[in-house]
Amino acid sequence: MAAEPRFVHVVHHTSYKYEAPVAQSWQLAHLRPRDLPRQRLRAHRLDIEPRPDWLDERTDYFGNAVTAFAIHAGHDTLDVVAESQVEIAPPAPDADAAARAWDAPPAPGEPDVDGAAMLDLAQYLGPSPQVPRSRRAIHYARRSFRPGAPFVVALCDLAHRIHRDFEFDPTATTVTTPLDEVFAQRRGVCQDFAQVMIAGLRGIGVPARYVSGYIITRPPPGKPRLIGADASHAWVSAWCPGQGWVDVDPTNDRRIDQDFVTLAWGRDFSDVTPLRGVILGGGAQELEARVTVTQLRRPASLTAG
Amino acid sequence: MRDLLSAYPRAELRFDEMLDATGAPRAHWARIVDTLAGPELDRVRDRIATAERQIRDSGLTYNMYADPKGVDRPWALDTLPMIIPADEWASIEAAVAQRAQLLNAVLLDLYGPQRLLAEGHIPPRLVLGHSAFQRAACNAAIPGGIALFSYAADLARSPDGRWWVVADRTQAPSGAGYAIENRLIVSRIFPALFGELHAQRIAGFFATLRDTLGEQSPRGDGPQLTVLLTPGPYNETYSEHSLLARYLGFTLAEGSDLAVREGKVWLKTVEGLRRVHAILRRQDDDFCDPLELRSDSALGVPGLTDCARRGSVLIANAIGSGILESGALMGFLPGLARHLLGEPLRMPSVATWWLGEPAALHDALPHMADLVFKPADPVLRLEPVFGQDLDARKARALLLKIRRQPEAWFAQELVRLSQAPVYDRHHPQRLGARAVGLRVFAVASRQGWSVMPGGLTRVAGSHDARVISMQRGGAAKDTWVLSPAAVNATLTLLRSTVGPDDLVRAGAGNLSSRAAENLFWFGRYSERAESVTRLLRVALPRFSVDDDEDRAAQVPLLALVRAVGHVDEDEAPEAALLDAVFGTERPGGLRTTLLQVQRVASGLRERLSVDHWRTINRLVHDPGFDAFHDLPQALALLDRAVNGLVTLSGFTLDGMTRDPGWRFLSVGRRIERLRALCVAVSTAVRDGRSAGLDWLLELCDSTITYRSRYMGQPEWLPVLDLVLRDDSNPRSVAFQLRGLADVLARIDRALGGVEPDFAPAVLSGLDRWNDASTLRPDETLAGWLDELSAAAATLSDRLSMRFFSHAEDRRRASFAV
Repeated sequence: MAAEPRFVHVVHHTSYKYEAPVAQSWQLAHLRPRDLPRQRLRAHRLDIEPRPDWLDERTDYFGNAVTAFAIHAGHDTLDVVAESQVEIAPPAPDADAAARAWDAPPAPGEPDVDGAAMLDLAQYLGPSPQVPRSRRAIHYARRSFRPGAPFVVALCDLAHRIHRDFEFDPTATTVTTPLDEVFAQRRGVCQDFAQVMIAGLRGIGVPARYVSGYIITRPPPGKPRLIGADASHAWVSAWCPGQGWVDVDPTNDRRIDQDFVTLAWGRDFSDVTPLRGVILGGGAQELEARVTVTQLRRPASLTAG
Repeated sequence: MRDLLSAYPRAELRFDEMLDATGAPRAHWARIVDTLAGPELDRVRDRIATAERQIRDSGLTYNMYADPKGVDRPWALDTLPMIIPADEWASIEAAVAQRAQLLNAVLLDLYGPQRLLAEGHIPPRLVLGHSAFQRAACNAAIPGGIALFSYAADLARSPDGRWWVVADRTQAPSGAGYAIENRLIVSRIFPALFGELHAQRIAGFFATLRDTLGEQSPRGDGPQLTVLLTPGPYNETYSEHSLLARYLGFTLAEGSDLAVREGKVWLKTVEGLRRVHAILRRQDDDFCDPLELRSDSALGVPGLTDCARRGSVLIANAIGSGILESGALMGFLPGLARHLLGEPLRMPSVATWWLGEPAALHDALPHMADLVFKPADPVLRLEPVFGQDLDARKARALLLKIRRQPEAWFAQELVRLSQAPVYDRHHPQRLGARAVGLRVFAVASRQGWSVMPGGLTRVAGSHDARVISMQRGGAAKDTWVLSPAAVNATLTLLRSTVGPDDLVRAGAGNLSSRAAENLFWFGRYSERAESVTRLLRVALPRFSVDDDEDRAAQVPLLALVRAVGHVDEDEAPEAALLDAVFGTERPGGLRTTLLQVQRVASGLRERLSVDHWRTINRLVHDPGFDAFHDLPQALALLDRAVNGLVTLSGFTLDGMTRDPGWRFLSVGRRIERLRALCVAVSTAVRDGRSAGLDWLLELCDSTITYRSRYMGQPEWLPVLDLVLRDDSNPRSVAFQLRGLADVLARIDRALGGVEPDFAPAVLSGLDRWNDASTLRPDETLAGWLDELSAAAATLSDRLSMRFFSHAEDRRRASFAV
């Protein structure tokens, strides 16, 4: 793997067409990539059409950047284009501790769990709006987290099994499909796989959060790269004693690396929905989201979405 | 006295509020026992019967629309007050004030620095993993350090006589409004006793609430405006919301009446947007804002949470305060009191263990039978389990469930509730007993939290109940806190806080678009009810009695009742008209129209007087509806209905301020009356015969005027002159047209937006009938009346578009990935 930073350009275009005019619209956007040790946001802009009557930028509880905006005049389309340039560092090697055996949930008093850390971890341990407690998910996760198994090995094994046991099928679920239904049909998209994994991890005492972002996707060999064919992506970050947060992508059965751009994280999809809003009027609506991720260097192909 | 207590159960294992261990009345109950055992009982009984009628008439209800049949359940009030002596109250008061102060400090920390979590005073998971913790509400601007403006504690008394806190109400405590209403009623039943016992007044509590909200709220963009945010008429305690709004002088608003612009909250009024500075909310945390909290909330205001964070609006109580209602927190309060206040907790909470702590699990499980197990988070949808109900097998199953997910449960000791006497209407000479609990209210003030001296005593359905629930058939009592000295009686319920600068004159003020719309439809429906009643009263006898003159009237009347929709083409008129009087199914019938009046009025409770309510309720609940459905009963009922409806319009004319709200009511009435007149006169005109024309005069309530002016049978020219052109006759077309023009001009002056061509031109075209010789019962006239009626409908639509439309917005959430 190349040991030098990679530059990635992301265009995320969300477009609504409404059957009847929308009189009022309030929106919250989680579309600005986070600044992290592994990634630096070099440029970002958000274009909104029609022009918002009001716009406000702030940081949410999880430290994600949020743009809130409102449109008070009638409109029948809404286009939000987020364009970002991100510099991504090569992944750091795991600490020795990452090989530590997994046995118990983090508790205050452990060497790397002080009060402040516990405050952060505590919220990723219990059920959240879209990830309720699921006995099936817990049972499923336990098979990877056997007593004595090294943490990162167990974590990657869980991601691997989800990748193997669940089929990627964008027609099978919506953003609100319940977890147990995903389990029952063993189909879904990245959001579902991430939430299945999170439910399992939390259920056995591992703090787990939902990460929203992008991956660089390449076409099958011999075909031209399709602009806008890509979608936004989601994966899992699990807290490993001695190592901290470890990100893994069950959709592609991979640790994250320079192919991944982190947008935001929270307890589940509902905390970091890329664009969430409330509108008055509008009738039926047509939604299209297109993501284009362009890169300078190229490793293996990934499935997005 | 032996008689009085002959059916009163002895309190074996529980505390008795009224009797001591020897069975003698406690000192503070002695006077009331004497009153009930003495000769005064008969008068008390009469007054109680009057009070029960009063409650029904005033429309004070609980669960108003929760019943599928839409039947109101009157507020269940037990008329005997609960009595608490002064010294005992002093300790309750101090304890509740302390608890409010403590919970406020906890709230500020949880939504701010979170030191209590970081330092381990409260387990982080209990809060951060709880669905009631609203992350979006963190780091909000909290004016004056007050997040908990109003607080209620549910207390219970154990067999040893000690009081315990069994629940904390911190989001939007309900019941204070019912406490005022109970006080008004019960103090009238026992007027002498009330004075003699020096029961403390509760009105100061509400004045303090108003003062504190006024002091702490931000300012700017016009006069200070506070709204009471209600989920709307379908909420079980809506009648309390309207009562409080009226009592406190706050504008009652639903979520759709408010809008966020530029980081501030605004009320949609008929004059446009008005800045809202403070919101007293009766809506749960997660329903307050569909943008940042529950996206499926149709009740909230998108962007409200952001305004709270900015401090551009005061929200009482602060969004997120529901986290304190998690019973699992109770076990940590003694430690928090010492840590935050440096003093011990004055009143214990009922013993509580959050089972997420291994030590607590260990302590609690050995005495399962004495505990009730409750979910730590309502989102888990677990039912409370009473340990004493479990056999060995069920107990093992519960244990297994708890061990699998201990953090989801807390265990609480059961307090054996005390019992208090209740009045039994059927056996007034014998007292019954019921288990009781006390809800005590506190409000933030400049000097800490002040406690309402009284409160809501909640009465269970039986004397040995384990829980008290208003939904499950419980009732409430007024609570009298005795004071050692005479109470300063000059403190009236509404203490004046208005200075000369604050005087307000009738302006559109805070007339929300929704209230304007409701007033408009109240005007239309109440007038419609009157015209329906009058028409039925004119028509029914003419189809039932065989008389030449009446037969002549039958043809046009049949055309009219068909046009109005009382009688279908293939129906026998008499039976159909009786059904229009009594039936509940017939659209446009008397009963259905009265129910519409009541429904619209229930959205206007805070603007209508108790007299209005009494009249409306008597109309709707007229005993005639349940009597035999025949002509004499129908006519008697119709006479009473006309009386009631005239009374109602009398209140409107004589008792309501001429503010823009009244104008909307008035324009609604006029539009409705004009349409009824037009259809009646045009039907008569098309029929053309003059024989039997009395019916039209009677329908237009113009018989007496006609007879005083003309001799003999009614003839067309004078009849048309009287019902069309005579603008001194309030039932003439001319009178309505002049009135409409006048009220529209006044609305324009107050609010603007009613341009000269706002009303269709035909509404100002009465001049064409200036020449009396053109006034004939012909198609020209009938056609003109049809046009007029259509124009009135157009005017109604235009008013809706101009003044009401934005109150009807429907919102929905969207998510994009």
